[in-house]
Amino acid sequence: MDCNGCEFHPELYYDDEYQIWVRREDDGNLTVGMTDLSQTIAGKILHVRVRRPGTRRPPGKPVATIESGKWAGPIPNFMDCTIIEGNAEVMENPSLLNADPYNAWVARVEPVDGADKALEGFHTGDDARKGYCARVKKDDIHCDKN
Amino acid sequence: MRDAKTLRVLDTGLRRAAENMALNRALLESHQAGTSPHTLRFLRFTPSALLGFHQDVEQELRTDYCAEQGIDIQRRITGGGAIYFDETQIGWELYLDKGFLGTADMGAIAKKICEAAAEGISALGVDARYRPRNDIEVDGRKISGTGGAFDGDSIMYQGTLLIDFDVERMLRVLRIPAEKLSDKAIESARDRVANLKDLLGGNMPTFAEVQERLAESFARAFDVKLEWADAMNAAEDAAFREALADIDTPEWTYQHNRPATDATMHEAITRSQGGTLRVGVAVDPVRNQLKQVWITGDFFVKPRRLVVDLEGALRNTPIEALEANVKAFFEDHPAEMLMLTPDDFVSAIRAAVDAGRD
Repeated sequence: MDCNGCEFHPELYYDDEYQIWVRREDDGNLTVGMTDLSQTIAGKILHVRVRRPGTRRPPGKPVATIESGKWAGPIPNFMDCTIIEGNAEVMENPSLLNADPYNAWVARVEPVDGADKALEGFHTGDDARKGYCARVKKDDIHCDKN
Repeated sequence: MRDAKTLRVLDTGLRRAAENMALNRALLESHQAGTSPHTLRFLRFTPSALLGFHQDVEQELRTDYCAEQGIDIQRRITGGGAIYFDETQIGWELYLDKGFLGTADMGAIAKKICEAAAEGISALGVDARYRPRNDIEVDGRKISGTGGAFDGDSIMYQGTLLIDFDVERMLRVLRIPAEKLSDKAIESARDRVANLKDLLGGNMPTFAEVQERLAESFARAFDVKLEWADAMNAAEDAAFREALADIDTPEWTYQHNRPATDATMHEAITRSQGGTLRVGVAVDPVRNQLKQVWITGDFFVKPRRLVVDLEGALRNTPIEALEANVKAFFEDHPAEMLMLTPDDFVSAIRAAVDAGRD
């Protein structure tokens, strides 16, 4: 299924609007990043800031903020979690979020009530693919890395 | 509770920077929470140096000058560069959402809002036009700079309007090379901004008239009716008090401060057949990229704003991409130059970068 060139990974977990991806790690922690469609909307990302490790972030309070052009804002957060670390490489070179959004993770977090609870309400697999493509088509987003 | 066809208009008057920034956060969060209507706010500042959201105080501002002059230092919630704001400017800002604007594309949102603002400014009797990505100009001179912040589907987009702005004071607040403070450089910086008072002379409108023209223009552009309000609602008041407690603190303003030496500034003067180029560069040694470039000197280029555009285009350029970016810029921007070539700019910038490598 073509999603206007926007890259999708079925094994990851996504919010309703497909702004972020979340990966389950073997140790029960979660890795968070921006989706291809999300970095496309943002445009060239110039700054990324992740909250200090050890900070607890409830749903609605962002784990990280980004800036592109003259826009600044949060990467949304939907989980009750504690920050383990930000990706130093991405913070030093934020354009990695544009070039390689699924490898350029933003933060690793520890879910306060466990991964299963944190990922309730997220979409994954084929269901997520359908939703992701629908969002891309609805908002007429074209992911073109060149 | 939110009426999609109504734009509330608020004038929060002359305030300290901390209060204005706290209102930014409070109104954006309240909009996102659904407790705030679509809003146009007019605001004014006591003398303030305002940093972009991700900037560092020491790298951007002359803190000693600000302290001496009683200028507040504050961090914005919007992106972009440091600016100086005082009673000689009016601020305007919109709190809307992507549904209201009919697009999620940040560039398209900026364009739509800036075009409406330009029309409102034009209604005061000047020919103001949107200039991508974030400026409004009169005859090639900047009269309004803009920027935005988002939170979920809600966006805040804000701009300035220069009434009687003192460019020299702004240059003294910003941490830029001494070179840019020569009489000639100040004069040329002055030449790049447009003050409403200079343009309109004796026909200067009142603050109320400026607000009315802008508000009417936004109402037309978005096809909504205006509702002039005297005060914020109770939920917004509570959010404001909470935001102020966080923002009116050194922890907010000075967060993640890196020492000023982190981005080092260097200068070089080069001469070619086309004239003398004086280039200052601020290099980010961690990312090995040009943070900012300043070009002055004795040479001829037309249009005159080309140099400012080139400075803007080279912001955050990796040093290895310098030559390619300068060439790409001149391919996109037809220029009239006397004996001066794009290579001369590359060599001059390179010389300034190398000056820091001794």
